[in-house]
Amino acid sequence: MGATTPSRPAARRPRGPREDGGPSGAPAPRRGRGRSGAAMRGQQRRAAPAGAKGGQDGGSHGAELLGRRLGTAVPAPGVSHRHGDVPVLISEDIVISQPAKILNFLRKQKYNADYELSAKQGADTLAYIALLEEKLLPALLHTFWVEAENYSSVTKPWFASRIAFPQSLYLPGKMSREALNRILLTRGGPPLYSLAEVEAQIYRDAKECLNLLSKRLGTSQFFFGDMPTTLDAFVFGFLAPIYKVCFPRVQLQEHLKQLPNLCRFCDDILTCYFRLTVSGHSPAGQDTADANLRKLTQLVNKESNLIEKMDDNLRKSPQHPPRKLTTLKLAAGGEASSSLNRLSP
Amino acid sequence: IPVLFTAAEPWPENAELYQQLKEEQILLSDNASSLAVQAFLQMCNLPIRVVCRANAEYMSPSGKVPFIHVGNQVVSELGPIVQFVKAKGHSLSDGLDEVQKAEMKAYMELVNNMLLTAELYLQWCDDVTVEEITHPRYGSPYPWPLNRILSYQKQWEVRRKMKAIGWAGKTLDQVLEDVDQCCQALSQRLGTQPYFFNKQPTELDALVFGHLFTILTTQLITDALSEKVKNYSNLTAFCRRIEQQYFEGQDKDSSAAVAARSAKRSLLR
Repeated sequence: MGATTPSRPAARRPRGPREDGGPSGAPAPRRGRGRSGAAMRGQQRRAAPAGAKGGQDGGSHGAELLGRRLGTAVPAPGVSHRHGDVPVLISEDIVISQPAKILNFLRKQKYNADYELSAKQGADTLAYIALLEEKLLPALLHTFWVEAENYSSVTKPWFASRIAFPQSLYLPGKMSREALNRILLTRGGPPLYSLAEVEAQIYRDAKECLNLLSKRLGTSQFFFGDMPTTLDAFVFGFLAPIYKVCFPRVQLQEHLKQLPNLCRFCDDILTCYFRLTVSGHSPAGQDTADANLRKLTQLVNKESNLIEKMDDNLRKSPQHPPRKLTTLKLAAGGEASSSLNRLSP
Repeated sequence: IPVLFTAAEPWPENAELYQQLKEEQILLSDNASSLAVQAFLQMCNLPIRVVCRANAEYMSPSGKVPFIHVGNQVVSELGPIVQFVKAKGHSLSDGLDEVQKAEMKAYMELVNNMLLTAELYLQWCDDVTVEEITHPRYGSPYPWPLNRILSYQKQWEVRRKMKAIGWAGKTLDQVLEDVDQCCQALSQRLGTQPYFFNKQPTELDALVFGHLFTILTTQLITDALSEKVKNYSNLTAFCRRIEQQYFEGQDKDSSAAVAARSAKRSLLR
């Protein structure tokens, strides 16, 4: 990649298997304003409430990317999370909760991914972020929170599993309502009168936005050359959930897959900064696979031991005339079958 | 819009642009949008007549001003108008390549996202401005109690939207910070060029001109907003350049020139 950043893990890796597309990067109504939505997810090791409560910006993926890129250490203080808003950065008793503020904080600590950008490129960053928020975010919110099948089969169980009881009962519903509200208020005026028309329009806009991003990226590795910047983090934050989460209704994902340079961009960042292989199996996933393998091996060993015991019994049993041999065989068969019964789970 | 049908007809001479009453009623954000469309049409060299109606907002197909009435088509807001004009064969951004077009769209979203929203915030969420400017102006053509009802209704709508996008919790200072950031980005992008895409103006130039010129020439409770823009000299020069080229160069009585002149006078009663 040519990156000179330190490779030690800057932000904590999110828990849980990654096969289905990574941590809860689902964007939600609470959007970060200003330069970028990139922020640190410093809350992973706190109890489940922090992980998903209050919803996240599309930029939280990008947040972690930014953290790794900058090599900041995020200690795990004993401050408990009270804000109900993610992403949250906790650093030595300071708790910062909005993406723009988090970014400012990092800049004050002299971590800046945009150091090498020219003024014009900095301005471009702001403009593209505005484009993403206006055109792509509504469709993303819709895919995650409003589309009935997606919401009930993927988003709601996913978030509810990470939020502590009793908030898990009402928070996902609240986030879903807020998402719909936001979509309707910002995009739902006349001449679009029904939800279906609004949906059609926002998906059209989102696909156009993806096309624009693809044209802008072209063949280069990141948006401004060889080093990732805030814009890359932000775009990644929006694209990765679309790319990786397996939904029943996936029109955005299908469109994204037709843009190979954007897919390659996501894969590159995932491999480089989140230590995933392209197939999407994280080391954590590898551990579980190993554990499964061990269990299977043990089971096979147990079975072979039992089979050996059966053989010994057979050999030890005395030889009788044919009549009794049949009885013995049956007995052996009975023993064998009972052993087999013991083997079956 | 049925694009296929409109392509055949040329631009008529009697095209009209509708907005609210210039002197008494129109607000900062609507004036900015209207000026942007006027600038765009001037840049395309398409004649347009500005008509002021108190109920322009209600006549508009999308509820937003300005809207243009061309032949038997009615189109509102800059985005659809640009597409409509393109279908008629006039376009300012044809000379741009794909990447530049993407950039242009991104910057237009930036202006809408930050500048327009900041203007709306200032007009409808800042209590002092609401009391002293917005409420008196917005309902002024109507008798009491209709004027109060309409302006409260609109205020409620705008505040709901602000809440949904997360701007309701911002203070005025934060909003001005955002405006400053946006102007800085625009200034950096413009650099020393005459227009954003060097030699020729595009719809982005029209949009930026509409907003910045209105902010610079509108007198509000404080000058904080226009001060933010004045910090960037290339932006003020840009506004002056476009005004001279496309508005004052016209016949003195033309509607666009009148619009530019009246915008110069304060919008504060």
